[in-house]
Amino acid sequence: MSSTLPRNYYDFFGIERKLTVDTDVLQRRFYELNRHWHPDRFTRKSPDEQAQALEATAILNDGYRTLRDPVKRAEYLLTEEGFPIGEQRSKDVPPELLEEVFELNMMLEELKAGDESTCSQLEGARQNFLDMRASIERELEVLFAKYDAAEAHSKAAKQALQEIRGVLNRRRYIENLVRDVDGALDPSIAVAETAEDRL
Amino acid sequence: MAYSDKVLDHYNHPRNVGSLDKSSPNVGTGMVGAPECGDVMKLQVKVNPDTGVIEDAKFKTFGCGSAIASSSLATEWLKGKTVDQALEIKNTDIVNELSLPPVKIHCSVLAEDAIKAAIGDYKRKQPAPEREAFSVS
Repeated sequence: MSSTLPRNYYDFFGIERKLTVDTDVLQRRFYELNRHWHPDRFTRKSPDEQAQALEATAILNDGYRTLRDPVKRAEYLLTEEGFPIGEQRSKDVPPELLEEVFELNMMLEELKAGDESTCSQLEGARQNFLDMRASIERELEVLFAKYDAAEAHSKAAKQALQEIRGVLNRRRYIENLVRDVDGALDPSIAVAETAEDRL
Repeated sequence: MAYSDKVLDHYNHPRNVGSLDKSSPNVGTGMVGAPECGDVMKLQVKVNPDTGVIEDAKFKTFGCGSAIASSSLATEWLKGKTVDQALEIKNTDIVNELSLPPVKIHCSVLAEDAIKAAIGDYKRKQPAPEREAFSVS
């Protein structure tokens, strides 16, 4: 019987559980592991081993997609460390953020209701959102370094994760605003998003 | 996925969209959000301070149709209820009324949170109940 595969993506790739990841190293490990687990190399092996190779390839692909993207990587680590992004109640979201997002949405709605003349204002709003997103990415980089410098599971590490979750929440909202303003500027994007998706 | 006629109706003709004077002592405001789907919901109630009955309710939601329908329905239900009755509204009532699919249950939770936040805000604005007990009508 074959040994069990590491479930954790970091362990599977044999890299440290840090938020800052050298993507060149990650990519090298991906190719190595991909060659090692390639199903073609298992055609003459037992059904058990074939099944395991298939499973390993699936973990490898999911893990690579997750770890190479800073936001997905952070969301993954947050979940692993007990700060799942998807199971928050409103009380976890600071009121200032909700106020800010609400006001931005109100402004965007007014602009969208306007005639052609508001088009340049919409462009301005879009640039503003993109700037916000860029500054969020920089904020994340700083927080990633803060988490990585802290001892695993320490108070400082937990504190950093909580801050990261807050920043990711804000990022999600800004991301939605970008999509929204893109749809307003180019109706063909909005059409691509069907009515069903919005419900 | 099929959506109930009631969701579509509230989505296409949302009830009570708008806002009330946030600074009024009789108005309670609840602002809640679900970051994972990017929704933000504002719900307000205007309470008659003598009777404790909600005279008006308004909402504004940026989010999916189910979130809009949930908050629209909530404002309809709130009108005419006392603040204590309002707190009894459960997200499951909204789920049943709108036949929300499982993936949209969080939208109804958001609406329930918004009701609680609005009533909580109204209650915070009121004078302490001990003092009220002395007033003779």
